[in-house]
Amino acid sequence: MVEPNDQLIEKIKQLIIQRLKLADITPEMIETDAPLFGEGLGLDSIDALELVLGLEKEFGVIIPDAEVGKKVFQSVRTMAQYVLEQQGAV
Amino acid sequence: MKAPKGKTAFCFPGQLQEKPILEDHHPLREDPHCKELLVRASSQTKFDLLNFSFGGDEKEEDFSLKLQISTYILSMVYFYRLRAAGWNPDIFAEHSMGIYAALAASEAISFEEGLHITEAVGRLLQREGAIHRGGMASIIGLPLEEVQKVCQDLNSFQLSIANYNGSRHYVLSGEEKGVEKAISLALSRKAVSATRLAFNTGLHSPLLYTLREEIMGILQDIKIQPPKVPILNHWTIKPLRREEIKDFLSQEIGRPVYWIRCVETLLQKGVSQFIEVGHEATLTKLMRWIDREVEAFSAGAPHPIPLPSGERGE
Repeated sequence: MVEPNDQLIEKIKQLIIQRLKLADITPEMIETDAPLFGEGLGLDSIDALELVLGLEKEFGVIIPDAEVGKKVFQSVRTMAQYVLEQQGAV
Repeated sequence: MKAPKGKTAFCFPGQLQEKPILEDHHPLREDPHCKELLVRASSQTKFDLLNFSFGGDEKEEDFSLKLQISTYILSMVYFYRLRAAGWNPDIFAEHSMGIYAALAASEAISFEEGLHITEAVGRLLQREGAIHRGGMASIIGLPLEEVQKVCQDLNSFQLSIANYNGSRHYVLSGEEKGVEKAISLALSRKAVSATRLAFNTGLHSPLLYTLREEIMGILQDIKIQPPKVPILNHWTIKPLRREEIKDFLSQEIGRPVYWIRCVETLLQKGVSQFIEVGHEATLTKLMRWIDREVEAFSAGAPHPIPLPSGERGE
Protein backbone atom coordinates (compact mmCIF):
# COMPACT_ATOMS: atom_id res chain seq x y z
CA MET A 1 0.00 0.00 0.00
CA VAL A 2 1.37 3.42 -1.00
CA GLU A 3 1.44 5.87 1.91
CA PRO A 4 0.37 9.42 1.04
CA ASN A 5 2.43 12.35 2.33
CA ASP A 6 1.11 15.21 4.50
CA GLN A 7 0.78 17.51 1.50
CA LEU A 8 -1.61 15.18 -0.31
CA ILE A 9 -3.60 14.56 2.88
CA GLU A 10 -3.98 18.34 3.26
CA LYS A 11 -5.08 18.69 -0.39
CA ILE A 12 -7.76 16.01 0.08
CA LYS A 13 -9.05 17.78 3.18
CA GLN A 14 -9.19 21.06 1.27
CA LEU A 15 -11.03 19.34 -1.56
CA ILE A 16 -13.65 17.97 0.85
CA ILE A 17 -14.16 21.40 2.43
CA GLN A 18 -14.42 23.20 -0.90
CA ARG A 19 -16.62 20.68 -2.74
CA LEU A 20 -19.01 20.29 0.19
CA LYS A 21 -18.93 23.99 1.12
CA LEU A 22 -18.19 23.16 4.77
CA ALA A 23 -17.93 26.77 5.94
CA ASP A 24 -17.41 25.93 9.63
CA ILE A 25 -14.75 23.24 9.13
CA THR A 26 -10.96 23.65 8.82
CA PRO A 27 -8.56 20.93 7.58
CA GLU A 28 -7.24 20.50 11.16
CA MET A 29 -10.73 19.53 12.29
CA ILE A 30 -10.92 16.57 9.87
CA GLU A 31 -9.23 13.45 11.22
CA THR A 32 -7.24 11.63 8.54
CA ASP A 33 -8.48 8.17 9.55
CA ALA A 34 -11.99 9.00 10.79
CA PRO A 35 -14.98 7.68 8.82
CA LEU A 36 -16.38 10.24 6.38
CA PHE A 37 -19.91 8.81 6.25
CA GLY A 38 -22.33 8.08 9.05
CA GLU A 39 -20.24 8.98 12.08
CA GLY A 40 -17.26 11.31 11.75
CA LEU A 41 -18.05 14.06 9.21
CA GLY A 42 -21.53 12.60 8.69
CA LEU A 43 -21.50 12.77 4.90
CA ASP A 44 -24.23 11.20 2.75
CA SER A 45 -24.67 9.98 -0.82
CA ILE A 46 -25.31 13.47 -2.21
CA ASP A 47 -21.93 14.44 -0.76
CA ALA A 48 -20.37 11.33 -2.34
CA LEU A 49 -21.39 12.57 -5.78
CA GLU A 50 -19.63 15.89 -5.10
CA LEU A 51 -16.48 14.06 -4.01
CA VAL A 52 -16.53 11.83 -7.11
CA LEU A 53 -16.62 14.95 -9.27
CA GLY A 54 -14.01 16.69 -7.10
CA LEU A 55 -11.49 13.82 -7.43
CA GLU A 56 -12.04 13.78 -11.18
CA LYS A 57 -11.56 17.53 -11.59
CA GLU A 58 -8.70 17.97 -9.14
CA PHE A 59 -6.71 14.77 -9.68
CA GLY A 60 -8.07 13.28 -12.92
CA VAL A 61 -9.05 10.18 -10.97
CA ILE A 62 -12.25 8.26 -11.76
CA ILE A 63 -14.46 6.37 -9.31
CA PRO A 64 -15.97 3.79 -11.67
CA ASP A 65 -18.82 2.49 -9.50
CA ALA A 66 -20.44 2.45 -6.06
CA GLU A 67 -18.39 -0.51 -4.85
CA VAL A 68 -15.08 1.28 -5.46
CA GLY A 69 -16.63 4.47 -4.02
CA LYS A 70 -17.42 2.67 -0.75
CA LYS A 71 -13.78 1.63 -0.33
CA VAL A 72 -12.32 4.98 -1.41
CA PHE A 73 -14.58 7.18 0.71
CA GLN A 74 -13.86 5.41 4.00
CA SER A 75 -11.55 8.17 5.17
CA VAL A 76 -9.25 10.97 3.98
CA ARG A 77 -6.37 8.47 4.00
CA THR A 78 -8.15 5.95 1.76
CA MET A 79 -9.03 8.78 -0.67
CA ALA A 80 -5.38 9.87 -0.80
CA GLN A 81 -4.19 6.26 -1.25
CA TYR A 82 -6.59 5.79 -4.17
CA VAL A 83 -5.34 8.99 -5.83
CA LEU A 84 -1.74 7.75 -5.55
CA GLU A 85 -2.62 4.28 -6.84
CA GLN A 86 -4.51 5.63 -9.83
CA GLN A 87 -1.90 8.23 -10.71
CA GLY A 88 0.84 5.64 -10.43
CA ALA A 89 -1.09 3.30 -12.71
CA VAL A 90 -1.19 5.83 -15.57
CA MET B 1 -21.53 50.82 -3.42
CA LYS B 2 -23.62 48.03 -1.96
CA ALA B 3 -24.67 45.24 -4.27
CA PRO B 4 -28.46 45.08 -4.63
CA LYS B 5 -29.87 42.44 -2.33
CA GLY B 6 -31.56 39.57 -4.13
CA LYS B 7 -34.76 37.89 -3.10
CA THR B 8 -35.04 35.25 -0.41
CA ALA B 9 -36.76 31.90 -0.88
CA PHE B 10 -37.81 29.68 2.01
CA CYS B 11 -37.62 26.06 0.86
CA PHE B 12 -39.75 23.48 2.68
CA PRO B 13 -38.26 19.97 2.41
CA GLY B 14 -40.10 16.69 1.99
CA GLN B 15 -40.21 13.82 4.46
CA LEU B 16 -37.18 13.27 6.67
CA GLN B 17 -35.47 9.94 6.04
CA GLU B 18 -34.23 9.33 9.56
CA LYS B 19 -35.62 9.84 13.02
CA PRO B 20 -34.75 13.41 14.08
CA ILE B 21 -32.28 13.43 16.95
CA LEU B 22 -33.56 15.83 19.60
CA GLU B 23 -31.41 14.74 22.51
CA ASP B 24 -31.81 16.16 26.04
CA HIS B 25 -29.65 19.23 25.44
CA HIS B 26 -30.94 20.00 21.95
CA PRO B 27 -31.65 23.77 21.68
CA LEU B 28 -35.15 23.17 20.25
CA ARG B 29 -36.26 21.73 23.58
CA GLU B 30 -35.91 25.20 25.13
CA ASP B 31 -37.16 27.11 22.11
CA PRO B 32 -40.40 29.01 22.86
CA HIS B 33 -41.80 28.42 19.33
CA CYS B 34 -41.13 24.72 19.64
CA LYS B 35 -42.73 24.53 23.07
CA GLU B 36 -45.84 26.36 21.90
CA LEU B 37 -46.27 24.29 18.74
CA LEU B 38 -45.80 21.03 20.65
CA VAL B 39 -48.54 22.02 23.09
CA ARG B 40 -50.84 22.90 20.18
CA ALA B 41 -49.96 19.66 18.37
CA SER B 42 -50.64 17.55 21.49
CA SER B 43 -54.29 18.66 21.49
CA GLN B 44 -54.96 16.82 18.22
CA THR B 45 -52.34 14.10 17.69
CA LYS B 46 -50.97 11.35 19.92
CA PHE B 47 -47.59 11.73 18.27
CA ASP B 48 -44.87 13.02 20.60
CA LEU B 49 -42.08 14.61 18.56
CA LEU B 50 -39.47 14.69 21.33
CA ASN B 51 -39.79 10.95 21.90
CA PHE B 52 -40.66 10.12 18.27
CA SER B 53 -43.52 8.05 19.56
CA PHE B 54 -47.29 7.57 19.47
CA GLY B 55 -47.19 6.98 23.20
CA GLY B 56 -46.43 3.30 23.55
CA ASP B 57 -48.62 1.86 20.83
CA GLU B 58 -45.75 1.49 18.38
CA LYS B 59 -45.86 -0.38 15.11
CA GLU B 60 -43.00 -0.74 12.68
CA GLU B 61 -45.19 0.39 9.80
CA ASP B 62 -45.75 3.74 11.57
CA PHE B 63 -42.17 4.80 10.83
CA SER B 64 -42.95 6.80 7.66
CA LEU B 65 -46.00 8.39 9.27
CA LYS B 66 -43.91 9.46 12.28
CA LEU B 67 -41.30 10.92 9.95
CA GLN B 68 -44.00 12.83 8.06
CA ILE B 69 -45.49 14.39 11.21
CA SER B 70 -41.99 15.17 12.56
CA THR B 71 -41.06 16.86 9.27
CA TYR B 72 -44.17 19.04 9.37
CA ILE B 73 -43.83 20.16 13.00
CA LEU B 74 -40.08 20.80 12.70
CA SER B 75 -40.51 22.87 9.53
CA MET B 76 -43.06 25.03 11.34
CA VAL B 77 -40.73 25.43 14.34
CA TYR B 78 -37.84 26.48 12.08
CA PHE B 79 -40.13 28.82 10.14
CA TYR B 80 -40.95 30.73 13.33
CA ARG B 81 -37.30 30.72 14.39
CA LEU B 82 -36.29 32.23 11.05
CA ARG B 83 -38.98 34.90 11.33
CA ALA B 84 -37.82 35.72 14.87
CA ALA B 85 -34.24 36.09 13.54
CA GLY B 86 -35.52 38.75 11.11
CA TRP B 87 -35.83 36.78 7.86
CA ASN B 88 -38.67 37.85 5.55
CA PRO B 89 -39.12 35.54 2.57
CA ASP B 90 -40.23 36.79 -0.84
CA ILE B 91 -41.37 33.38 -2.02
CA PHE B 92 -41.80 29.80 -0.80
CA ALA B 93 -40.68 26.68 -2.62
CA GLU B 94 -41.75 23.22 -1.47
CA HIS B 95 -40.51 19.73 -2.15
CA SER B 96 -43.03 16.90 -1.96
CA MET B 97 -44.77 16.82 1.43
CA GLY B 98 -43.11 20.12 2.34
CA ILE B 99 -46.23 21.63 0.78
CA TYR B 100 -48.20 21.21 4.04
CA ALA B 101 -45.79 23.34 6.09
CA ALA B 102 -45.46 25.84 3.22
CA LEU B 103 -49.24 26.28 3.22
CA ALA B 104 -49.40 26.73 6.99
CA ALA B 105 -46.44 29.14 7.00
CA SER B 106 -48.12 31.21 4.28
CA GLU B 107 -51.32 31.22 6.39
CA ALA B 108 -53.34 29.59 3.61
CA ILE B 109 -54.24 27.05 6.33
CA SER B 110 -53.66 27.02 10.09
CA PHE B 111 -50.93 25.04 11.87
CA GLU B 112 -53.61 22.67 13.16
CA GLU B 113 -55.13 22.16 9.70
CA GLY B 114 -51.69 21.43 8.26
CA LEU B 115 -51.06 18.89 11.02
CA HIS B 116 -54.44 17.28 10.38
CA ILE B 117 -53.75 16.99 6.63
CA THR B 118 -50.24 15.62 7.24
CA GLU B 119 -51.45 12.88 9.57
CA ALA B 120 -54.59 12.00 7.58
CA VAL B 121 -52.73 11.77 4.25
CA GLY B 122 -49.93 9.88 6.01
CA ARG B 123 -52.42 7.28 7.30
CA LEU B 124 -53.93 7.00 3.83
CA LEU B 125 -50.47 6.31 2.37
CA GLN B 126 -49.80 3.79 5.12
CA ARG B 127 -53.03 1.94 4.32
CA GLU B 128 -52.22 2.03 0.59
CA GLY B 129 -48.72 0.67 1.28
CA ALA B 130 -50.18 -2.25 3.22
CA ILE B 131 -52.43 -3.19 0.26
CA HIS B 132 -50.13 -2.40 -2.68
CA ARG B 133 -46.56 -2.61 -1.48
CA GLY B 134 -44.56 0.17 -3.12
CA GLY B 135 -41.34 2.03 -2.57
CA MET B 136 -38.94 4.74 -3.61
CA ALA B 137 -35.23 4.74 -4.41
CA SER B 138 -32.72 7.54 -4.64
CA ILE B 139 -30.45 7.11 -7.68
CA ILE B 140 -27.35 9.29 -7.60
CA GLY B 141 -24.71 9.71 -10.28
CA LEU B 142 -26.59 8.66 -13.43
CA PRO B 143 -27.83 11.15 -16.04
CA LEU B 144 -31.55 11.44 -16.81
CA GLU B 145 -31.43 9.24 -19.95
CA GLU B 146 -29.88 6.38 -17.95
CA VAL B 147 -32.48 6.66 -15.20
CA GLN B 148 -35.27 6.71 -17.79
CA LYS B 149 -33.77 3.61 -19.34
CA VAL B 150 -33.81 1.81 -15.98
CA CYS B 151 -37.56 2.55 -15.78
CA GLN B 152 -38.12 1.37 -19.37
CA ASP B 153 -36.14 -1.82 -18.86
CA LEU B 154 -38.32 -2.69 -15.86
CA ASN B 155 -41.58 -1.43 -17.31
CA SER B 156 -43.68 -4.28 -15.95
CA PHE B 157 -43.18 -2.82 -12.43
CA GLN B 158 -44.75 0.57 -13.25
CA LEU B 159 -41.67 2.54 -12.25
CA SER B 160 -41.53 6.27 -12.84
CA ILE B 161 -39.28 9.18 -11.94
CA ALA B 162 -40.81 10.76 -8.84
CA ASN B 163 -38.28 13.52 -8.12
CA TYR B 164 -36.02 15.43 -10.51
CA ASN B 165 -33.60 16.70 -7.86
CA GLY B 166 -30.46 17.48 -9.88
CA SER B 167 -28.80 16.57 -13.18
CA ARG B 168 -27.38 13.41 -11.52
CA HIS B 169 -29.92 12.90 -8.77
CA TYR B 170 -33.33 11.31 -9.31
CA VAL B 171 -35.83 9.40 -7.20
CA LEU B 172 -37.69 6.43 -8.64
CA SER B 173 -41.08 5.30 -7.45
CA GLY B 174 -43.25 2.25 -8.09
CA GLU B 175 -43.96 -1.30 -6.99
CA GLU B 176 -41.60 -2.53 -4.29
CA LYS B 177 -40.13 -5.41 -6.29
CA GLY B 178 -39.46 -3.07 -9.19
CA VAL B 179 -37.75 -0.56 -6.92
CA GLU B 180 -35.43 -3.30 -5.59
CA LYS B 181 -34.60 -4.39 -9.13
CA ALA B 182 -34.04 -0.78 -10.21
CA ILE B 183 -31.48 -0.34 -7.41
CA SER B 184 -29.48 -3.37 -8.61
CA LEU B 185 -29.74 -2.27 -12.24
CA ALA B 186 -28.67 1.31 -11.48
CA LEU B 187 -25.66 0.06 -9.49
CA SER B 188 -24.67 -2.30 -12.31
CA ARG B 189 -24.81 0.71 -14.64
CA LYS B 190 -22.33 2.65 -12.47
CA ALA B 191 -24.54 4.79 -10.24
CA VAL B 192 -22.54 6.41 -7.42
CA SER B 193 -25.30 5.33 -5.08
CA ALA B 194 -28.75 3.71 -5.28
CA THR B 195 -30.68 3.25 -2.04
CA ARG B 196 -34.21 2.71 -0.72
CA LEU B 197 -35.96 5.66 0.88
CA ALA B 198 -38.18 5.37 3.96
CA PHE B 199 -41.50 4.90 2.11
CA ASN B 200 -43.66 1.83 1.57
CA THR B 201 -45.69 3.45 -1.20
CA GLY B 202 -44.76 4.75 -4.63
CA LEU B 203 -45.18 8.41 -3.73
CA HIS B 204 -45.32 10.85 -6.67
CA SER B 205 -46.02 8.05 -9.11
CA PRO B 206 -49.26 7.58 -11.09
CA LEU B 207 -49.92 4.52 -8.87
CA LEU B 208 -51.17 6.90 -6.17
CA TYR B 209 -53.29 9.06 -8.43
CA THR B 210 -56.27 6.91 -7.45
CA LEU B 211 -56.19 8.41 -3.92
CA ARG B 212 -57.16 11.89 -5.07
CA GLU B 213 -60.85 11.63 -4.13
CA GLU B 214 -60.04 10.42 -0.63
CA ILE B 215 -57.61 13.31 -0.21
CA MET B 216 -60.32 15.69 -1.40
CA GLY B 217 -62.47 14.21 1.37
CA ILE B 218 -59.77 15.02 3.96
CA LEU B 219 -59.72 18.62 2.70
CA GLN B 220 -63.49 19.01 2.49
CA ASP B 221 -64.03 21.09 5.65
CA ILE B 222 -60.88 23.17 5.33
CA LYS B 223 -61.30 26.73 4.10
CA ILE B 224 -58.18 27.74 2.21
CA GLN B 225 -57.09 31.38 2.50
CA PRO B 226 -54.97 33.21 -0.11
CA PRO B 227 -51.29 32.49 0.67
CA LYS B 228 -49.59 35.57 2.18
CA VAL B 229 -46.31 34.54 0.57
CA PRO B 230 -46.42 33.06 -2.96
CA ILE B 231 -45.81 29.30 -3.07
CA LEU B 232 -44.19 27.77 -6.14
CA ASN B 233 -46.08 24.70 -7.37
CA HIS B 234 -43.51 21.88 -7.73
CA TRP B 235 -44.96 20.45 -10.92
CA THR B 236 -46.29 23.43 -12.94
CA ILE B 237 -43.53 25.71 -11.50
CA LYS B 238 -46.00 28.58 -11.12
CA PRO B 239 -47.30 30.23 -7.95
CA LEU B 240 -50.25 28.34 -6.52
CA ARG B 241 -53.54 30.24 -6.60
CA ARG B 242 -55.89 29.78 -3.69
CA GLU B 243 -58.61 28.15 -5.83
CA GLU B 244 -56.24 25.47 -7.15
CA ILE B 245 -54.67 24.44 -3.82
CA LYS B 246 -57.12 21.62 -3.00
CA ASP B 247 -56.76 20.15 -6.49
CA PHE B 248 -53.01 20.41 -6.16
CA LEU B 249 -52.99 18.61 -2.81
CA SER B 250 -55.24 15.84 -4.08
CA GLN B 251 -53.12 15.24 -7.18
CA GLU B 252 -49.53 16.01 -6.21
CA ILE B 253 -48.87 12.64 -4.56
CA GLY B 254 -49.48 11.07 -7.98
CA ARG B 255 -47.27 13.48 -9.92
CA PRO B 256 -43.51 14.13 -9.94
CA VAL B 257 -41.57 16.87 -8.18
CA TYR B 258 -39.55 18.95 -10.66
CA TRP B 259 -37.16 20.42 -8.10
CA ILE B 260 -34.44 21.43 -10.60
CA ARG B 261 -36.96 23.53 -12.51
CA CYS B 262 -38.22 25.10 -9.27
CA VAL B 263 -34.70 26.24 -8.39
CA GLU B 264 -33.94 27.45 -11.92
CA THR B 265 -37.18 29.46 -11.95
CA LEU B 266 -36.37 31.02 -8.58
CA LEU B 267 -32.89 31.99 -9.81
CA GLN B 268 -34.47 33.61 -12.88
CA LYS B 269 -36.82 35.53 -10.59
CA GLY B 270 -33.83 37.04 -8.81
CA VAL B 271 -33.69 34.80 -5.73
CA SER B 272 -30.15 34.84 -4.34
CA GLN B 273 -30.72 33.34 -0.88
CA PHE B 274 -32.17 29.87 -0.39
CA ILE B 275 -33.05 28.92 3.14
CA GLU B 276 -34.10 25.39 3.96
CA VAL B 277 -36.89 25.40 6.54
CA GLY B 278 -36.25 22.00 8.05
CA HIS B 279 -34.19 19.84 10.35
CA GLU B 280 -31.66 18.52 7.83
CA ALA B 281 -29.81 20.04 4.88
CA THR B 282 -31.11 17.94 1.99
CA LEU B 283 -32.35 20.79 -0.20
CA THR B 284 -29.27 22.85 0.68
CA LYS B 285 -27.09 20.03 -0.67
CA LEU B 286 -29.21 19.81 -3.82
CA MET B 287 -28.82 23.59 -4.22
CA ARG B 288 -25.03 23.18 -4.09
CA TRP B 289 -25.26 20.83 -7.06
CA ILE B 290 -27.58 23.05 -9.13
CA ASP B 291 -25.77 26.36 -8.47
CA ARG B 292 -22.60 26.38 -6.36
CA GLU B 293 -22.36 30.15 -6.09
CA VAL B 294 -25.72 30.94 -4.56
CA GLU B 295 -26.12 31.45 -0.80
CA ALA B 296 -27.93 28.54 0.80
CA PHE B 297 -28.21 27.26 4.33
CA SER B 298 -30.52 25.17 6.46
CA ALA B 299 -32.26 26.59 9.53
CA GLY B 300 -31.71 23.18 11.12
CA ALA B 301 -27.91 23.30 10.80
CA PRO B 302 -26.05 22.95 14.12
CA HIS B 303 -24.84 26.57 14.14
CA PRO B 304 -27.14 29.50 15.06
CA ILE B 305 -29.39 30.93 12.32
CA PRO B 306 -27.45 33.76 10.59
CA LEU B 307 -28.93 37.25 10.55
CA PRO B 308 -30.36 38.66 7.31
CA SER B 309 -27.85 40.77 5.32
CA GLY B 310 -29.44 44.09 6.40
CA GLU B 311 -28.78 43.12 10.03
CA ARG B 312 -25.15 42.13 9.44
CA GLY B 313 -24.03 45.71 8.70
CA GLU B 314 -23.28 44.92 5.05
